[in-house]
Amino acid sequence: MPNSITRNKGDLILEITNMTKTFGPVTALNNVDLKLYRGDVLGLIGENGSGKSTISSIAAGMQKADSGEMKYLGENWAPKSMIDALDKGIGMIVQESGTIAGISVAENIFLGNLNQFSKYGFINKKELHARANEVLRNIGIDNIDSSMIMGALDFQSRKLVEIAKVIMKEPEILIVDETTTALSQKGREILYKVVKRYREENRAVIFISHDLDEIMEVCDTLTVLRDGNIIRTFKKEEFDPDQIRLSMIGRELEGDYYRSDYDPTHGEKVTIELKNATVKGHMYGINLEAHEGEILGIGGLSHCGMHTLGKALFGAVKLDDGEALVNGEKIKNEIFATKKKIGYVSKDRDNESLVLSASVKDNIAIAGLDIFSIGNFLVLYSKENEYVKKQIDSLLIKCSDSSQVVQTLSGGNKQKVVFGKWIGCGSEILVLDCPTRGVDIGVKQAMYQLLYRLKKEGKTIIIISEELPELMGMSDRLIIMKDGKINKEFLRSKDLSDAEIIGYMI
Amino acid sequence: MEQVMENKKPKFDKYKAKKLVITLLPLLALILLFVFYIIILNVNDYNIMMNLRSLLNQSLILVLVATGAIFIFTLGQFDISLGANALFSAVIGTLVYKATGSIALLFIICILVAVGCSLLNALIASVFHLPMFVTTIAMLSVLTALATFLIQSQGSASGTSYSINLPSELVDKLAPLDTPIFKIILLGIFILAMVFIFNFTKVGRKQKFLGGNEKCAKLTGISISLFGIIAFALAGLGVGLGSSMTVVYAHTVSTTTASSIGMSVFIAIVFGGMPINGGARSRIYSALIGGFSYNIMTNILFILFQSMEGARDGLVQVISGVFFLAIVFVASINYRSKNLPR
Repeated sequence: MPNSITRNKGDLILEITNMTKTFGPVTALNNVDLKLYRGDVLGLIGENGSGKSTISSIAAGMQKADSGEMKYLGENWAPKSMIDALDKGIGMIVQESGTIAGISVAENIFLGNLNQFSKYGFINKKELHARANEVLRNIGIDNIDSSMIMGALDFQSRKLVEIAKVIMKEPEILIVDETTTALSQKGREILYKVVKRYREENRAVIFISHDLDEIMEVCDTLTVLRDGNIIRTFKKEEFDPDQIRLSMIGRELEGDYYRSDYDPTHGEKVTIELKNATVKGHMYGINLEAHEGEILGIGGLSHCGMHTLGKALFGAVKLDDGEALVNGEKIKNEIFATKKKIGYVSKDRDNESLVLSASVKDNIAIAGLDIFSIGNFLVLYSKENEYVKKQIDSLLIKCSDSSQVVQTLSGGNKQKVVFGKWIGCGSEILVLDCPTRGVDIGVKQAMYQLLYRLKKEGKTIIIISEELPELMGMSDRLIIMKDGKINKEFLRSKDLSDAEIIGYMI
Repeated sequence: MEQVMENKKPKFDKYKAKKLVITLLPLLALILLFVFYIIILNVNDYNIMMNLRSLLNQSLILVLVATGAIFIFTLGQFDISLGANALFSAVIGTLVYKATGSIALLFIICILVAVGCSLLNALIASVFHLPMFVTTIAMLSVLTALATFLIQSQGSASGTSYSINLPSELVDKLAPLDTPIFKIILLGIFILAMVFIFNFTKVGRKQKFLGGNEKCAKLTGISISLFGIIAFALAGLGVGLGSSMTVVYAHTVSTTTASSIGMSVFIAIVFGGMPINGGARSRIYSALIGGFSYNIMTNILFILFQSMEGARDGLVQVISGVFFLAIVFVASINYRSKNLPR
């Protein structure tokens, strides 16, 4: 990357002309034109599968377009790889995992550049770790040690390392692809500071998010994509949530977004509970009950223990003390949990909730085998297809057909597949960890309405989320966790304010 | 609600056509290899029928073992002890057959011993929380040593090598089974049974899902140890049938019997289109197609290099290895191209 670049605000830095990209039968980008100027934070917004990640990943060297032209700093731009693109000035923080689990944080940060720490063929680990720690601290990450193995970190920490890895190279253009959904408020603040600095230094940022409030706050201009086409570009002064939503989905959103009632009542029967549950290092002495027909929200900062709590309710972590019960019976493990009709949606979707190399059908059908098999043994194809089609239709999963491999779906559609897996099999209790992460606004609305319907049917829904509006909008009861303990409980009320809740989170 | 499609389907679906070509590629390769093999046999004045019979014998054992082993490979696991297990079960089966003269016992004992050894792999891995590959390395050493001990103590020496040979009356008894018809029927029944389990039962579905992502399978309520045990039991069944048939057509077991089958199975199923990481795209027919393709290819290479007597074996192995790497590379390109953001 040239160091002697003159950075004048408003200069054209990246120009994409007539870009087309297809994935098999699906046109992801259709003759798209896009311009990015220095000092600009350009937001890309659109429904799942609209082409946001495709266009940015092509600019960042992750894949090639079928046709079209790119110019970066006035010259033709055709990076050979992401590393090549990053070295030359365009860096991207990807939507899901962009790090390698089996090596240290430091080795991840300096991946491909470890030679600078090499002497006579040996890596100077002390220097490597010191430099990596410096990189982390420079952007405000102070709770991760660079000598740790990447796979031992949680999802948010891995994402923060990835941010540090890209920022270290100081690219002229930074692409942030739905990264904030993986981050807590603190993690988001770190990223927002970087974006602010980029604007002030007259570099440029492409910011992809489904959070309309966030994208309107962070970005200077906003381009809306739908079905691989650019629909409209909004300048800051033109930002209007209704107009943006209309451009995104091509129709008005009808009905309630969250639920409209403020009635926190639910059934009497306790369906799932934790008694004095402790997982050392994560949560301590948790007592919690959820009832039939109740939506129980659990919120807090990312490391407050709520994600572990979700796993504990599914028997997926070993409790050091206490117990988890479903209808009065001890939850021994995940197998027992699924037998008792508990469904669990993990926050780490690609690693824990999906088999990426399998089809939409395989992923949805796996939890419902008991429903469409004969004699608990023989799988009936016709019934299976019917079962899967029902989920694809009701959740509006965008796929060419049910045999499409899940890893070729957009992030939000992947999430819908996970949802379909657990809803289709008739789960009575749903433990949903960040259920709408990476899901577009139209589908979010549909999911919220579905959750409300499931509540009315008497199901128990536990929503663990870092999105306060989502928790406030949907929960009958909201539990706020802090430092591994329950800090406060709120009942659904019109008067509930986020300021009051945040006070118990931090 | 109406199903949402990303775009209207074009008249000619290139994506599906490409998928079909990729699926059919191993079969196409087998057909081409077979045609080439016949031509080469013809050109070199070899007895075609005799060579085809020999090909069936070679491939029968490999395909039987590989078909069962698909269940292990589907889990993303690898069993290096398959050959040693085949040898050990063949030794025990032969000894029992020699002692009783019962063909049924020969088959039953071979299968029981093979399934038992295979299960031991899975149980040790499960109890001690070891990677299954590690336990199969230990099992390879133990079974090879036991089989060698039995062959040396119970068999007869010929020069420096030992073998257990069947007396002529017992060989004659096996003659009805040593026919192409019986072998094809046995192979057909076994493959159909495995295809049924793999594709039409909950067991097969869960195996594939588990092979695709162990963590996700666990969080979907699938028991990793149970399905590991089932996979090894089914692999043991294939090994048992393979070792029985080895005795049927070879009438003898020596320390080199089935020695290289562990590696051959792996190469063969990859030849047949099996993803090397296992998972959802695993197919039983990979064993059938790959088993025959692999043997045809090595036979062709042996004929082509027949003049290089001293270096022939090594050369064939090197070329097989290069082919194997090439196939894995091509398969991985296809995999990587699917792993892109949308």
